[in-house]
Amino acid sequence: MRELAEAIRARRLSPIALTETFLERLERLGPRYNAVVTVTRERALREARRAEAEIAAGRWRGPLHGIPYGAKDLLAAAGTPTTWGAAPLRAQTFDTDATVIHRLEAAGAVLVAKLAMVELAGGMGYRQPNASFTGPGKSPWGPDAWSGGSSSGSGSAVAAGLVPFAIGSETWGSILSPAAYCGVTGLRPTYGRVSRHGAMALCWTLDKLGPLALTADDCGLVLEAIAGPDAHDPSAADRTFTHAAGDPAGRRFRFGVLRGVDEGAEPAVRAAFTRSLDTLTKLGTVEEVTLPELPYDAIARTILFAEAASAFEDMIESGTIAELTAPEDHYAPYARDAILAKDYIKALRLRGVVMREADRLLARVDALVAPGRPATAPPLEGEFRSLHRPALDPMGAIGNMAGLPAVAVPNGFSESGLPTSLQFMGRAWADDTVLAAAHAWQSITDWHQRHPAID
Amino acid sequence: MRRMSEPAPDPREAAFLFDLIRTRYGNRLTPEQLEGVRRGVAAVVAQSALLRAVRLSNADEPVQRFVPFRADA
Repeated sequence: MRELAEAIRARRLSPIALTETFLERLERLGPRYNAVVTVTRERALREARRAEAEIAAGRWRGPLHGIPYGAKDLLAAAGTPTTWGAAPLRAQTFDTDATVIHRLEAAGAVLVAKLAMVELAGGMGYRQPNASFTGPGKSPWGPDAWSGGSSSGSGSAVAAGLVPFAIGSETWGSILSPAAYCGVTGLRPTYGRVSRHGAMALCWTLDKLGPLALTADDCGLVLEAIAGPDAHDPSAADRTFTHAAGDPAGRRFRFGVLRGVDEGAEPAVRAAFTRSLDTLTKLGTVEEVTLPELPYDAIARTILFAEAASAFEDMIESGTIAELTAPEDHYAPYARDAILAKDYIKALRLRGVVMREADRLLARVDALVAPGRPATAPPLEGEFRSLHRPALDPMGAIGNMAGLPAVAVPNGFSESGLPTSLQFMGRAWADDTVLAAAHAWQSITDWHQRHPAID
Repeated sequence: MRRMSEPAPDPREAAFLFDLIRTRYGNRLTPEQLEGVRRGVAAVVAQSALLRAVRLSNADEPVQRFVPFRADA
């Protein structure tokens, strides 16, 4: 994005022409990947014209000025449908922009599309790729490969070159999964780093908004624009974020690897991870680490299911979930009535234990590294559970319930040409550290420079 | 913090909770969907059993701070 930004700033590249290029790609190629809900052509050209006029007048707002982007369709954009990926909500609109959209507009970025997502961000318990009224998201790396979710369109649109960057969200896996399956970079910021105002809530204490782009540096530029306190969101911390690309050559990192973290992963993922650990020794040290034995997945699931059941109480109680796309989403939420209040509170108490243990470990290392996902992109048909994959996700459970930042970056390919992924997860508020580690990784590898054949 | 003795999930608990849910929503679900809900309830109960098996102290507070609201604070 820095190259685009410099060309725009130097007036070698017109924001209007750039926007029209991406609008054309979105309209032509978006349907191929089920990546797009709404192309916001009118708004995009208005914002692009403004950007061009401002830059011509010498008022450059920064590296996002004139850069087109897509927003996961759980982010409100005034007057544009915001469907949450759910058929019953196709016509839903909001009068105001989400804070993230507002901040990107203030940075001069150009909203070109609302991007497809798994219905209700996967909160009803979907078990297969076809879980959105826009159809299953498709990874540009394979005709039968799922894009990942729930930020499906955000991943595939970046990978296919339909947008330079996109905004996604993660409650548990929804940024890292599409980043991994689409072979792009995804940043899950520390919880509270980015305001959630104007974004659909799945789980108030797990939801985080973050960017997907081709590089960690690009993600850092976007985070700087969208991070910061917000009076409309009490969970948004009073902390700003300044992204410094830095010199990756100088820094040495301490990486930790949770014992057994790649057990049960697909062979291609394990092989790529093993090679990655060897590569990481060029950037610093790699050591095996452990955490206490705790029911991490059960803690995170209890919190997620209980809060999701409340967040969508109206849709569940009214039976509207029967209109959703994935068949299991029609009934699975009812089971969550079985979560007792005492058990939910126990999960919150255990959450505190997990947070302290994770912080104690992460105080000793710069980041934990692990596969971004335990498998490559699943096929479009069939349930996930029919595949050989580990039942538990300790990195995801710990990272999300503790609100920790993580970056997923490409680190290889399977024999069938599907991307594999590596994640760096850091201490709370160490978004700069995980970005620096990912940037350093990308300075000595070229996986992020490989792109699927599109046109 | 230490593990309590680990009782297996009580199947009666799952059955009781499933009956409650079936009372509430059964008339809108097919037999196949109800079976899916029953499995979901069993999973929730198993999940809760894992949480209950970990002993905490009175000082281990939930991570959900309550802060009194005042508009001009």
